[in-house]
Amino acid sequence: MVAQPLAEKPRRGAGLLAVWRSAPSSFRIGAILLGIHILLAVLGPFIALYPQQQMMAGRPIQGPDLLHWFGTDQLGRDVFSRTLHGGWIVMVLSISGTLLGVAVGSVIGLACGYVRGWVDEVVMRIVEAILSIPFLVLALLAVSMAGPELAGSPVLVVTAVAVIYAPRIARMARAAALDIVTRDYVTVARLRGEPTLSVVRREMLPNAMGVLLVEFAVRAGYAPILIGTLGFLGFGMRPPTPEWGLMISEYRNLLTVQPWAVFGPGLMLSTLVIGLNFFTEGLSRVLGRSPMRGAA
Amino acid sequence: MNTVLSLIVQRVVYSIGTLVLVSMIIFAAVEVLPGDVTARILGRESSLAAREKLRIELGLDRPVVERYVTWAGGALTGDFGMSLTARKPVSEVVFGRLGYTLALAGFAMLLYIPLSIIPALVQAFFPNRLPDRAISTLNILVLSTPEFLLSTLLLFGLAVVFPIFPPLSQVSAATGVLNFLWMITLPAVSLAILLAVAGTRLLRESLIDLMDSDFIRMAELKGMSRTRIVMRHALPNAMIPWLNATAINFAFMIGGVVVVERVFVFPGFGSLLVDALQLRDVPLIEASVLVAAFIFIAVNLIADVLAILLNPRLRT
Repeated sequence: MVAQPLAEKPRRGAGLLAVWRSAPSSFRIGAILLGIHILLAVLGPFIALYPQQQMMAGRPIQGPDLLHWFGTDQLGRDVFSRTLHGGWIVMVLSISGTLLGVAVGSVIGLACGYVRGWVDEVVMRIVEAILSIPFLVLALLAVSMAGPELAGSPVLVVTAVAVIYAPRIARMARAAALDIVTRDYVTVARLRGEPTLSVVRREMLPNAMGVLLVEFAVRAGYAPILIGTLGFLGFGMRPPTPEWGLMISEYRNLLTVQPWAVFGPGLMLSTLVIGLNFFTEGLSRVLGRSPMRGAA
Repeated sequence: MNTVLSLIVQRVVYSIGTLVLVSMIIFAAVEVLPGDVTARILGRESSLAAREKLRIELGLDRPVVERYVTWAGGALTGDFGMSLTARKPVSEVVFGRLGYTLALAGFAMLLYIPLSIIPALVQAFFPNRLPDRAISTLNILVLSTPEFLLSTLLLFGLAVVFPIFPPLSQVSAATGVLNFLWMITLPAVSLAILLAVAGTRLLRESLIDLMDSDFIRMAELKGMSRTRIVMRHALPNAMIPWLNATAINFAFMIGGVVVVERVFVFPGFGSLLVDALQLRDVPLIEASVLVAAFIFIAVNLIADVLAILLNPRLRT
């Protein structure tokens, strides 16, 4: 038997660098794009030349120049500054909506997979039924049912995203739970007489975490599109919030004279989603899991 | 054959059950859950007397279960009551608009078939080479573009910069067939591109997987040409999952149609749904969401049945 030479213990930084080098190029592109977007979202409001609502920051409806990279809108507001002010809004809404949806969905799914029986049957039938309402229709329905008092509130947008994601996550978490439930540590916990909720939280959740994390990342990648679509259709944030989908909808009538007012926010939205998608795909490839992609 | 039949019957019964459940959820969401429907219709400043009158007119003074049974019973015969805003029967409004949208969806489907199969075939012929990578990258770019942005960009490119197509698709009953097709080309192309992305990805995966399988290697060893292998052996086998994905895509299109119709001002079912929600036309909302869910369930059922008939391995 040949003695294996002891591998030198890599330093922490070097290890991360090695992971970075060995990662697929799409992951690196995604990470860089995402990094730029996070940086812009945090610093945006401070580096923007103009306040997001300042009118007559330039001549109304002018094309891009050195001071106004995406030109100005019909009120003379600087579109680039507005876009910068909108970044953190898009991100915070996306992350909170996805987080809420994943949290609610995974609790429902894991609990159903653990208790089984008629509760599981009934809840999953309801989940299937909700899933047969096209997701955008479901979101629009949820938003308009909240009534006019809440219209345009960020809470409502977050809820709408969560309403779409929760049933999808629930179905997936249940499938994961059906596998976890057969493990011995769950049986032991049950035999110890632990209450259902505690088994779900302390035994099932940590073991489903990997699947749920990948799912979270994939869903978070679609959330900006969802929020933008809601804004675009008039069911999301309200003016003058500089949410990118809403801005594209507001500036659509400028398309013939000042298309950069649409291209700018559109470019930001697309690059954010591309970054998120590449990052997630690369991450799941690094972790050895294949994400469920495509239509939400 | 018996097992096939019982499987199909099982799927049909399950779908009907889901539809009934959906109708309950929709009814509950619209009528039971939050606040006062009449206040939502008439506005918060409306008088109590006016609200009371509307409440009786809508039959809201009756118990919930009774109202649901009346509504669902009517829905079975295609009677969804009167629209509050159009002052016409809801079914007339919905089915009129649905016709336009089905024409749009059908056109988009026709464009989708070549748009999803041809790129996937190109990718299968040159796996991991330049054409494959280029198409994959393009796929991710399109996948990352929101549909409202993609259709707005198409509109900008093909109706504003190069004014080939009309920027608005405001068709009406008076529009001739050829003119109608011309006007819905841009929205149909946007829908088809959005769907084709998912179709291409899936078809590529299954084609490349199949190229690795034993019967393909056998065909290779027999000295068959690559074209013949892909077209005669791999493609027919890859079509079953593609068909399934296509059905799901078609169902997904119901959501996409809302956005695309909005962008091109197309008076279809999607626009109707958005209008109904904005105007808080309760009977119209209930009917259109139910119809959307019905189409989704029906298309999925058809896909399931086709999969059972086409794939003997599912008949266990």
